[in-house]
Amino acid sequence: MRRNQGCNPLEHEMARRQFLTGTMAGAAGMGILGTHAQADQLKRQEKRILQVFLQGGVSQLESWDPKPGTVHGGPFQAIPTSVPGIHISELLPNIAQRMHMLSIVRSINIKINDHEQGRQFMEKGRRVGDFPYVGAVASKYLAAPNSDLPGYIHVSSRGISDVAGGAAFLGAKHGQLKLEGVKPPGNLAAPEGLDAVADAGRDQLRLQFNQRFSQRRSKALTEAYDASYDQAARLMNRKAMFEGKASQQDLERYGAHDFGRYCLLARSLLENGAACVKVTHHGYDSHAENFNFHLEQLGEFDKPFCMLLDDLETRGLLESTLVVIYSEFGRTPKVNVRYGRDHWGTAWSVALGGCGIQPGAVIGSTNDKGTEVADREVDAGHLFHTYLQAVGLDSTAEHDLQGRSIPIGDPAAEPIRELLA
Amino acid sequence: MLLTLSMIVCMTAASVAEIPLHKWIDMAVGVDSVAFENVAGDDAGDATFARRIYLDLTGAIPSAEQARQFGTDRSSAKRARLIDDLLTSPQYSRRMQYAFDTMLMERRPGKHIKSDEWRNYLRKSFAQNKPWDQLVTEILTADGADEKTRPAARFLLDREMKTDAMTRDLGRIFLGRDLQCAQCHDHPNIEDYLQRHYHGLSAFLNRSYLFTDPKSKQASIGEKAEGAVKFTSVFTSESDETAPRLLDLPPIEDPPAAEEPYTVKPDKKARSVPVYSRRLQLAVAMTDPANVAFRRNIANRLWALMMGRGIVEPMDMWHADNPPSHPALLDLLADALADHNYDMRYLLREMALTKTYQRSSQYKNDVDNPADDRCTVALLKPLSPEQLAWSMMQATSLTEATLEDLKAKHLKADAENAAKQVEDPLWQEEALHNALKSHVDTFAGLFGVVGIQTSRFDASANQALFLRNGTAVQSWVAAGSGRLTSRLAALKPLQLVDELYFSIFSRPPTTEENQFVTLFLEQHQDDRDAALGQLVWAALSSAEFRFNH
Repeated sequence: MRRNQGCNPLEHEMARRQFLTGTMAGAAGMGILGTHAQADQLKRQEKRILQVFLQGGVSQLESWDPKPGTVHGGPFQAIPTSVPGIHISELLPNIAQRMHMLSIVRSINIKINDHEQGRQFMEKGRRVGDFPYVGAVASKYLAAPNSDLPGYIHVSSRGISDVAGGAAFLGAKHGQLKLEGVKPPGNLAAPEGLDAVADAGRDQLRLQFNQRFSQRRSKALTEAYDASYDQAARLMNRKAMFEGKASQQDLERYGAHDFGRYCLLARSLLENGAACVKVTHHGYDSHAENFNFHLEQLGEFDKPFCMLLDDLETRGLLESTLVVIYSEFGRTPKVNVRYGRDHWGTAWSVALGGCGIQPGAVIGSTNDKGTEVADREVDAGHLFHTYLQAVGLDSTAEHDLQGRSIPIGDPAAEPIRELLA
Repeated sequence: MLLTLSMIVCMTAASVAEIPLHKWIDMAVGVDSVAFENVAGDDAGDATFARRIYLDLTGAIPSAEQARQFGTDRSSAKRARLIDDLLTSPQYSRRMQYAFDTMLMERRPGKHIKSDEWRNYLRKSFAQNKPWDQLVTEILTADGADEKTRPAARFLLDREMKTDAMTRDLGRIFLGRDLQCAQCHDHPNIEDYLQRHYHGLSAFLNRSYLFTDPKSKQASIGEKAEGAVKFTSVFTSESDETAPRLLDLPPIEDPPAAEEPYTVKPDKKARSVPVYSRRLQLAVAMTDPANVAFRRNIANRLWALMMGRGIVEPMDMWHADNPPSHPALLDLLADALADHNYDMRYLLREMALTKTYQRSSQYKNDVDNPADDRCTVALLKPLSPEQLAWSMMQATSLTEATLEDLKAKHLKADAENAAKQVEDPLWQEEALHNALKSHVDTFAGLFGVVGIQTSRFDASANQALFLRNGTAVQSWVAAGSGRLTSRLAALKPLQLVDELYFSIFSRPPTTEENQFVTLFLEQHQDDRDAALGQLVWAALSSAEFRFNH
């Protein structure tokens, strides 16, 4: 069929392997050895994505693109970072010391000022339509076929509902498993009164029933059904991990507050094979008291995030983990009468680093007052391509879905090539 | 295949009339030709047929009683009779309500029209066997202002009257064509999907808007008397303008502008109504016999409902490079449906009577796993969330026990009238539905997909966790008054296995299965109730139960 010309079918293991361009090169080029054998093995095999979503819209002026002393600059200073020439807000002192591990895109214009639309665009790389989120795409093409964990896991304290877990046409298997903080997902515990032996016994019976039925029938569907039970069983075995029991030492480093615990949970999930972990830090929609809000919120965000970044690096995972810190939009340069900043999709920033990303770079810029993009304007479509290319996926290929092929990234957008390592 | 088709062509008009549609369908598929039968599966057998048709036409497996009864019926016409009985049952209307609600609204939450009112409207439409063209006409012409026809307006109103959403879904759901990519340019990969198709369709609706009454806050559809659709290709920068038109049919030009173009003028407080409504032209054009895509689309969708796969698949991707697997068959179905006044019950009945429908899902020993689109074996159809919920409740006797409770309660409350009412199948269906609806909703939330529906099967860990550990299924599996597990506990071994298999699999056990279950129970004599619970759970969780096979 003509529409399939020039694109690889993405189903099945073989295609998945072909698709992971540069996987072997990445493994061969590893310099630093991780301390954990398990992590080391993971690193060889897989790439993954950590998304930290600052929900509500973090202010670029109080974070990645400070303009101290200008008309809209606000009260906070810019501080030098570990990369000469790059300054970020003083509200991120720990990140400033690790700037050499990250890069900043300062020239985002999504032309959207609505929370939901902005979030959808940032996740899907498309303004409209039922397209899968970055995390679902990662689950489909990056997750190991026999991973204990679902590919896409979202740790959040509040329920913003994502239709079909963001999987769209990729199917429920790739939709996000949403965790309400460090609480195991629903139905993870075996029913009361059913011990492990009995549980295994009844599952054995189920397989016996299936064996007879599968004779001389197409296997594709029955195997998919079987696989969902296997995955459920593996999740049940990992119950303790979801409960997020943290060591005293870890809690001291990350902080005992919710976001610190979420970051610790994210670390375990990434170490255990999740293809995409999203951690949401709520509360950046600062229409009033923007400066106090950011002082408090970023104060909570900065340290645990950096501990997670450090741990990923020392465990040898950072070079195979793309890290993205993003929002649905930024905040208006103009400070309103309530000392707030409002929704602003016109000129704002995200930070990213790790796998496939050239570290210590700044892409694009805004004008002196921060009211417009001055150079290298990009939007969520470009970012979407960039994320996928960074983890070795060809974002210009197509999803092949039973006779319907759909471009993975928006064909009208391109990756930010100068940002890719 | 070629032979069969030429046979069809050679038939004389007189003999054509005598041959019922289901025979034509089989011929178009290739049934009875030696080459076809060599690779085709056998007849499904009575038990599998009964389970299949109950699921397809009533949305749940048969009760053990019903399954047994059908097995012992010696009449040669029993399959046809069962089909007819089920097609006129209240459960049929409910099943079609679920299927068409899912098809038309794709599980989006209710917005301006309450989902229940819309679903009730659908169910009643199927109860009176409303022709498809009439149903669609009602759906596309209701403006939400008239209480009587308001539920039908949900298709448009709950898409917020957004032209792009309405246009895309009209194309997908009623014409079998996803024209979305043709919104901004002729489709880059699909030659048949042109920008003017998209905009011709959108021109029926671009003057219509969502009107919210300032007082009642009720939403309805208003329409302006002017507004043209112009479009420019983002590739070639060519521009064009279009009047409303359906695909390649001629455009429908507006009549000369009236001196006063409005019946109700646009106003903040009132819904404007033009003298000439483009939107009302949509239903006329859509259901016009010249619009072949309309009948082909519904024929294809009804086929997929019964057979598990569209003749065009995906059902909304009809174009030259994704042709029907059986073009002559699809035309046969589409034309027969149109000739029978869009009587969907008729078409479903004829499809159910085919050898193709009644085939086994097992392929022959010496044959390789056949391609899905050849109709040589029945395809496995994953149970819809609603089918799964109702079937689990049926299998574990929750349905039966609940109905007994409901009857008793009603008799107690209203002794005078209830005696007759409680025996009325419609009363029973509605009472059961109201009592058990919340379970069905739970399944729909977990197993349903919001957005574009596909016939692809998909299973997630979340779903399996719910089936393994969730409280609903656990409580159905557990022993309890009137429950399957308790009923089994009272039976002797051989009867027990028989009852287990008829209740859950709607068929008798084989000798091997008898041995395997008996052995399991012997090994777990110390805690028989628990062992029975495990058996019931395992059978409910099996692939045989999960699919309509």
